[in-house]
Amino acid sequence: MDAFNYHKPSSLAEAVALHRDAEDPAYLSGGHTLLPTMTQRLATPSDLIDLEGLTELTGIAAEGRTLSIGAFTRHAEVAASAEVRSTVPALADLAEGIGDAQVRNRGTIGGSLANSDPSADYPAAALALNAVIRTDRRQIAADDYFRGLFETALEEDEIITRIDFAIPSCAAYEKFPNPASRYATVGVMVADFNGTVRVGVTGAGPCACRAPAFEAALSARVDPAALDDAELPAIDFNSDLHASAEYRAHLVRVMAQRATARLVEAS
Amino acid sequence: MEQAGEYRIPAERAVVWRSLNDPAVLARCIDGCQSMEQLADDRFAATVKARVGPVRATFDVALTLTDMRPPESYVLEAEVKGKTAGFGKGTAEVALADADDGATLLSYRVVGRVGGKLAQIGARLIDSAARKMADDFFSAFHQAVDPTTKPS
Repeated sequence: MDAFNYHKPSSLAEAVALHRDAEDPAYLSGGHTLLPTMTQRLATPSDLIDLEGLTELTGIAAEGRTLSIGAFTRHAEVAASAEVRSTVPALADLAEGIGDAQVRNRGTIGGSLANSDPSADYPAAALALNAVIRTDRRQIAADDYFRGLFETALEEDEIITRIDFAIPSCAAYEKFPNPASRYATVGVMVADFNGTVRVGVTGAGPCACRAPAFEAALSARVDPAALDDAELPAIDFNSDLHASAEYRAHLVRVMAQRATARLVEAS
Repeated sequence: MEQAGEYRIPAERAVVWRSLNDPAVLARCIDGCQSMEQLADDRFAATVKARVGPVRATFDVALTLTDMRPPESYVLEAEVKGKTAGFGKGTAEVALADADDGATLLSYRVVGRVGGKLAQIGARLIDSAARKMADDFFSAFHQAVDPTTKPS
């Protein structure tokens, strides 16, 4: 790893100012993508700005029909949270299935969404649960947030502060994990909001997306069989050494049907 | 790694061909291109800062044009070396054909390999990243040669 300057700002404004003044800066959250990339020298930022300890980025609170999670909340904290378990258990299950114990103990929900890895789990939940991404300067609807491979609506120096999820009547997440990394080869969250169903898909294409035809079919009838002939989302399917585009397309339907089956069981 | 694509560019074939051989146009269309130098009629050297997710690495790129058949096709050979990130080698066959309304149909096929650290940790993302780079390049190229697009 090359030398870099380390900063630990005590306010959001200070973090943004540090970012503005540095030559080639990067914000550090859980560091479970950034640090391995740096040790491989595939990224050599001049300045790391550590977001740990910023109070605006912490805490989990459920109020009304909204579950608000601070961006610096680690995956293990989401998995263990009583508020998350009692309002959106599917989200706690999703967090529990991310990576391994080391990743869950360090990685954060804000870091995951800011990075927008095409195989990350949280993006599927952000879309299915109609999340609002709050930042240091604005709010962004999840539907407007994911733009492409590792591309989001965030500006270069923008910091996610909180993620507000809409609490559904019921939701379920199913993924086909890569056996080594546990990244989602394909992951699908199905969320039922009093008969209006939202479906978030990750792992399939350049970034997470919704599945409109699946949503229409499930909003009419919450039944795995309703998806037998429903049109797949229009995705430019990823193809890599783990799964071909055809296989991923197949998995989208299968994971959606499994998630729907769990939804039926739970309700 | 192998991929192919097709783009419809609203400009005459001769214009498209000229642009494909113009280092200034190429430099403008490659995201993160810091320099592009023409060494000979058929050879270019470029420095490119690639950004894909967390990866931000600078690469030296040597481009050689072969099998020139103006204004129909050429083969572009690229050798990519990163200071620490690894290396890659690729061949792109680019072909132009007349389309309707005086437009040109550009098709390409790339075969490539990567090695070094990039291959170790990036294997799962290389195909998607390469596709994104090709799409970004051709959409910028489209703008660069489209006569209706005002120069910026």
